[in-house]
Amino acid sequence: MAPSSRRVDLADRVRRAAAGLDWWLIGAAALISGFGVYMVRAATRTDVPGQPDYYFNRQLAYVLVGLVAMVAVARLDLERVGRYVWVLWGGLCAALAVVLIIGSTGGGARSWIEYGPVRVQPSELGKVVLIVVLATVIVQRSGDLDPRRLTLLALGLTALPAAIVFIQPDLGTALVYVAILFAILWVAGQPWTHFAVFGTVVATVAVLVLWALPAAGVDVLKPYQVERLTAFVDSGADRSETGYQLEQSKTAIGSGGALGKGTDGATQTINDFLPEHHTDFIFAVVAEMFGFVGGGALILAYALVVWRGLRILSRARGRVDQLVAAGVVAMFSFQVFVNIGMNVGIMPITGLPLPFMSYGGSHTLTNLVAVGLLLRVAQRRPPQVRPL
Amino acid sequence: MPAGRARPGRIRLLAIGTVAVMGVLAMRAGYLGTVKAGELSGMAAGQQQAAVEVPAPRGAIVTSDGRELAVDRLAVSVSATPYLVKDPVWTAERIAPAVGLPVAETERRLRARGGFVSLARNVSLDRARYLRKLDAPGIELADSQQRVYPLRRVGSQLVGLTDDYGVGLSGLEKARDRALTGAPGRRVEARDPFGRPLRIVDDRQAEPGRSVRLTVDSVIQDRTERILAATRSRFGAHSAMAIVMRPRDGAILAMATVPRFDPNDRESLTADAERNRPVTDTFEPGSTFKLVTVAGALQEGLVTPETSFYLPSVLSLYDRELEDSHPREPVTWTVSEILARSSNVGTVLVGQKLGAARLQSWIERFGFGEETGVDFPGEVPGIVLPLDKWSGTSILNIPIGQGVAVTLTQLARAYAAVANGGYLVTPHLVEGVGGREVRATRGRRILEPATAAALDRMLRGVVAPDGTGSEAQVEGYEVAGKTGTANKIDPATGTYDERYVASFVGYLPADRPELLVAVVVDEPTNGAYYGGEVAAPAFEQISEFALQHLGIAP
Repeated sequence: MAPSSRRVDLADRVRRAAAGLDWWLIGAAALISGFGVYMVRAATRTDVPGQPDYYFNRQLAYVLVGLVAMVAVARLDLERVGRYVWVLWGGLCAALAVVLIIGSTGGGARSWIEYGPVRVQPSELGKVVLIVVLATVIVQRSGDLDPRRLTLLALGLTALPAAIVFIQPDLGTALVYVAILFAILWVAGQPWTHFAVFGTVVATVAVLVLWALPAAGVDVLKPYQVERLTAFVDSGADRSETGYQLEQSKTAIGSGGALGKGTDGATQTINDFLPEHHTDFIFAVVAEMFGFVGGGALILAYALVVWRGLRILSRARGRVDQLVAAGVVAMFSFQVFVNIGMNVGIMPITGLPLPFMSYGGSHTLTNLVAVGLLLRVAQRRPPQVRPL
Repeated sequence: MPAGRARPGRIRLLAIGTVAVMGVLAMRAGYLGTVKAGELSGMAAGQQQAAVEVPAPRGAIVTSDGRELAVDRLAVSVSATPYLVKDPVWTAERIAPAVGLPVAETERRLRARGGFVSLARNVSLDRARYLRKLDAPGIELADSQQRVYPLRRVGSQLVGLTDDYGVGLSGLEKARDRALTGAPGRRVEARDPFGRPLRIVDDRQAEPGRSVRLTVDSVIQDRTERILAATRSRFGAHSAMAIVMRPRDGAILAMATVPRFDPNDRESLTADAERNRPVTDTFEPGSTFKLVTVAGALQEGLVTPETSFYLPSVLSLYDRELEDSHPREPVTWTVSEILARSSNVGTVLVGQKLGAARLQSWIERFGFGEETGVDFPGEVPGIVLPLDKWSGTSILNIPIGQGVAVTLTQLARAYAAVANGGYLVTPHLVEGVGGREVRATRGRRILEPATAAALDRMLRGVVAPDGTGSEAQVEGYEVAGKTGTANKIDPATGTYDERYVASFVGYLPADRPELLVAVVVDEPTNGAYYGGEVAAPAFEQISEFALQHLGIAP
């Protein structure tokens, strides 16, 4: 019978779509995103006079759109996308270049494209694009290139977009690109020696940029960037905006104590002492309101995401899938570490958002799309029990 | 190794690294939330947001020739938060010279209870730099505005004073306070527990006050004041005042009172020196008031300048006797001669012909007994008796300017009506506010053109060689004017004593009057006291200078 067979057909399709979904991962991502929306509301209800829900409404919309995008990406056919890898890469570079020329400025960096009410930050979505591009190209060319050339190719593919992002200037995001590259090369099995060379080069560049060249009168970074990178060493002595932010963040976290001061007693946040409390410093808000117990729980939730990501990576069958999973895991871990690290004062202030928590459309969308990629990888594992 | 196989070792390393990183974060957050919690909670509790008012510069008071009489200058004020001062003795010794206080007093203030004491306002920038470098705990510096008077004593009574908070207290500072006062800005700062600014949360710029431009010319004002000062010392007078006015529209080019004071130096200030006497003080006008009597009789058609009167040596009425200031035989003089020689007897005869009621209405018509509406605060209306308060012998006093009290501004305006062909103008000091011109009103007509012309001719006779005002003659110019000399009444006895007020009011060039100058010398003490002797020379000097300065041809 046609109607009943169609019903069976639909139920079957839903069952197949749901089969092999990593519910732990979905749960963790949804939980953190929901908590993020709640925290954005708690942190910003006094920021826009007369509109306590200004940021809340927007972040809620971003998360909902992101969840839809996550489901859509989970159904994506990566092999087909792989055919357009050069178009993707070219499009990314072009979008970043366009932003650099005609984009609008926010937070000191020229990194947005505005079209009517929509503001898109291509460098955010660029993270997942870069993951897909690197994974695909490395797998495609691993047969015909020797390891050194392969590493150089991957390096080149990352260097151009990272350089444009760096010029915007958005040092934090450029570093995320580099972290993605390293993780993918690492899991792809490139020789140890390559990473040793990388490490040496990075250390040398850091010394040059932060100390040797400025001492010689050549300033590669803008003064505020150097300030951000070095403020965490001794924030008390620093009267700059960056030192102030760090001091306020630490004060917020410390004054939250073990259990926090509650959403109404969080004076650092509510009285606006803590700047960027809905974006870069939202972890400090969590710790001020819910203490280090709340902050610790949040870190555990991130650990859950990363653990599920690593589990998916280790069980992935296709090489492209492995590398995609590695890239996503690296992206999350790196951002969580750098962001919370700067909140607690052990990492330089680089202006990176906290995944799923920080307010922001492009960034929320990007993280949920990345979760979608992991879900897709997980689902493509061959079923444990083959139907006969 | 076949493609497609994960490398368990590397993934494990990746996992270990990630876990380690997460652990470090959690440990650090825990450290801050437990070990450092007490200290950081104290920081959080002590933080405050403070709104700082950014003072708006007060508008300048500028003369018509663009010189600033009063202007705001950036200065620094110093205050202390006593409970934050670590060592009051040490601090007091170091900051006392910079704040201009004795060490003991400084220390007393630093030990005061409470959270705020003011140490000094308007500290110079050098001293502020020293204090900033000292960076003593509990001592705070804030930008403020200081009122300075670049021309020092010039026009000091006109400009007036402001209080420590920049509110106009007197003079034009008070009259134009609304325009001069700007809107202060507001800066919200986040501060640490020690009150040091950490970050600016909100910043609204201050809006400066509007400047007020006067009709006063600084050069004429200055010279007028100097001439008055010289006159005052030459005749040993108590004070002297003068107005230089454009009779056409009542614009005041100079309004001067001596002695003056230096508003930059509040020590030089006395309540007496602060008075802008031409507006706030009255005097008995004496003979200059005869203009009103004669003007009334002329326009009412009772006399012409050529009408003759028989003048006895002494005029008796009831128990009173009246004679001229210089004894003479009985004569027959025309109205013109009566005015030129300032005959009391003759003027009273003209006044009797006019009658008390009409004389009273003419006094009011000339604007005596009411404010002129000059744009200066504290104007007094003077004293004019209402008709029902006149006594039987008032007709012997009032026609010759006794028993009335007028301001110099009123008197100048009355003579301006003759000079400008019959209009009672409104004297004014402000030409424009914030770059926009203040419209001067035309004034109402009080004299027929023919009457004004007749009076003009008679006033020229005063300054003729045989008139009482011959000393007022300015070489090369035709002058019209009138002398005045009045006894002052001893407030204790209510009778006239030996103190005098000498005055001269005149305008020139008589054919097309550009300037009106009125001078009053109060209580000259060394013998001379006639208006023609004491006030007329000052009139001549002021007029001569002003004519040259303004380039007015004869």
